[in-house]
Amino acid sequence: MSVLEAIVHEIELLAMPALFNIYFAAAAIPIGFLFAIFLALGKASPNKLLSRLSRGYIYFFRGSPFFIQLFMFYALALSFNISVWKPLGIDWLVLHPLFLGPAILALNTTAYTAEIFYGALTTVPRGEVEGARAYGMSWGQRFRRIVWPHLIRIAWPAYTNEVVFLFHATALVYFTLPVIGDQKDLMNKAGELFERDYKVFLHYSVAALYFLCISLAVFFVFGLIYRRMMRHMPGAVPMRFNFQRMLR
Amino acid sequence: MKQLILAAAALLALTLSAEAQTVKLGSEGAYPPYNYVDEAGKLGGFDIDVGNEICKRASLTCEWVANEWDTIIPNLIAGNYDAILAGMSITDERKKTIAFTQDYFPPDPSTYIAPVGKNLSLDTPSGLRIGAQGGTIQANWLEQNAKANNTLLTYETADQALADLNAGNLDTILADKSYLDEAATASNGALELTGPELAIGGGVGVGMRQTDTDLLKKFDDALTAMKKDGTLDALITLYFPEREGGPFYTE
Amino acid sequence: MLDLLPQWLRDGIGDDVAFWIGYFTNGKHLLWYASVQYTVTAALLGGLLALTLGLTAAAIRNSAPAPFRLLASVYINIVRGVPDVLFFLFFPLVFEQLVEWIWSAQICTPETLALNTGQWPPCDAANWRLSTPEYLLMASVSLGIVYGAFTANVIYGALRAVPYGQLEAARAYGMSRFQVLSRIHIRQMWVYALPGLSNVWLLLIKATSLLSLLQIVDFVTWAQRLGSANYSKIAGLVHPDWRWQYYLVLLAFYILVTWLSERVFGALTRRVRRGMPIVAEEAM
Repeated sequence: MSVLEAIVHEIELLAMPALFNIYFAAAAIPIGFLFAIFLALGKASPNKLLSRLSRGYIYFFRGSPFFIQLFMFYALALSFNISVWKPLGIDWLVLHPLFLGPAILALNTTAYTAEIFYGALTTVPRGEVEGARAYGMSWGQRFRRIVWPHLIRIAWPAYTNEVVFLFHATALVYFTLPVIGDQKDLMNKAGELFERDYKVFLHYSVAALYFLCISLAVFFVFGLIYRRMMRHMPGAVPMRFNFQRMLR
Repeated sequence: MKQLILAAAALLALTLSAEAQTVKLGSEGAYPPYNYVDEAGKLGGFDIDVGNEICKRASLTCEWVANEWDTIIPNLIAGNYDAILAGMSITDERKKTIAFTQDYFPPDPSTYIAPVGKNLSLDTPSGLRIGAQGGTIQANWLEQNAKANNTLLTYETADQALADLNAGNLDTILADKSYLDEAATASNGALELTGPELAIGGGVGVGMRQTDTDLLKKFDDALTAMKKDGTLDALITLYFPEREGGPFYTE
Repeated sequence: MLDLLPQWLRDGIGDDVAFWIGYFTNGKHLLWYASVQYTVTAALLGGLLALTLGLTAAAIRNSAPAPFRLLASVYINIVRGVPDVLFFLFFPLVFEQLVEWIWSAQICTPETLALNTGQWPPCDAANWRLSTPEYLLMASVSLGIVYGAFTANVIYGALRAVPYGQLEAARAYGMSRFQVLSRIHIRQMWVYALPGLSNVWLLLIKATSLLSLLQIVDFVTWAQRLGSANYSKIAGLVHPDWRWQYYLVLLAFYILVTWLSERVFGALTRRVRRGMPIVAEEAM
């Protein structure tokens, strides 16, 4: 088999496992995004208890490795199997890697995203918010019309980075959760193929290629969204993938 | 420059020859009573005692290395150690990549373990969650015979599969009878061996690289001697008191 | 280690507590605590290498001929696309195969080559036998390479943040380009780089949890072994699955290291900020 044929065949073999990584990321991102908003607001809240709890959650999940979080939450969920999940009849769901993987990913990304959102929250122009209050807008109206638009625009570049890191983190899921049948992800499948013929360059390079392409796709799409969000702002930075800028 | 290369070559030769004196033996360390890590953190068990005895008879200095089960064969071939004694069954598929000595433990039937009173029909299992350690002959057998109608889960170590069984995540596990005997006893009546006994695998042997023919011969000779004078049988009785049908090797 | 305590103390604390103290200080657990050395070594070595690579790559990207700048750019950007786990597994395997390939070209005789057809390495004498020290070194190098790219990004941004007037003034005084770089540019850059560097350091520390993937019996592997349910009396204490408790200890350890690192970087930042004409900001 020529080199090109081998690479094409490899790309075919790894296509299905790539979908698992994409699924993990796609399932965890919306949940993380939603909860992060609440967590960031909680951290910025004047309520001492809420603020402390939010800070604690963020510190815990950002300060410890995701790899070990995966191990711990799986073992924790397992220990509650007989006492909680089975009586409720949901043990088949809770312990399944396709549920637990995105769940733990979501817990993790909520913390990182909340930190990004909190940083953006503190840079929302205070004058605008005060003006809105002076006009008599309620908290909900202020949040929807003033705070949120600023927050999302300031946070978007850092959030893009976080989404890509999340996607990279999905490579760790099947190192820690049990593999059921043929549901293998990129790293697992590449590892399995490697054990058969020891061709490091072939298997792991193509897996790396998949990760690279999907990451670039995410950067591109999120860049487009950013440009659209900022289309009315003066002198907005275009998030194009500019080769000339890489050389400068 | 020339002197540097000569010096480097001499050092290399020295280290290579020094390594040749010590034989490294690899084991898993998570499969009692074959091999486990004792309270002091050292490897112990049936495999370790057999290995030490072989080294004594073959006048070799042996060092033990613990390695996880799923990379135990690739790391043998990569040279991290020179022989595997880890309760590894002799199978034709494994013989394609590594060589085996004669068996030092007779073929062990594999059987199922399940919580007491479950009454599963295990002759032709269907609709069950069956667990096994990944990369074992049992996992292989299940893939070929039970995958169509059941959910198969594979784990990194046998103890993790048992932990899932105890936590209710599995219906049953397929593993070596000698391993499950201990587990059933330690469970204080919570688990029992059930189902048919399947003959998979051809006895436990020492795995080696196919190119290490000298070492293989030394190990085989030592094993023949151990079988003749009853040392091997004594070790088997020590670690596997439940095993019936002995003595296996003494004439 | 229970026998290190005097008898009156052992009697005083009671049987249960004594048992647990004995259990958590038995040989296995002591080996667990000692294996922290691997994590610390990998983090420090990897961090040092990352800093070196980062400084070099950033300097190249800043001011060097175009082909080198492109290479540095590719190096810096590739970590944005490929997970660090993959590098971690990939690099040691590639390095090992490279070394074995070079050896086999020099050492293998035609007879030994014929013995080993179809397998790697081509002949047995060229097999590089690895053990923990080698794996640890390669893990540190992998960490250094991956996080070197992140560091280069941070340092590149920091280099550009130094007020250009300072560099112009240094040139006007007649300093050579290298003197400007070493005396003014790099020294002034630290205050802008430290927040980003502290971030990269925290990522690096968390990445050391992956050492177990390289067959190093580290902190995480021992926690798995100790926590896994044991059903065999001869192997020690018979106990159910305690894994999540052991993993919680690991998490607490990493959070502690994070907290310590933040304190150290805070102190470093305060020191570097002395006499600098910038406003002290809260969260950069």
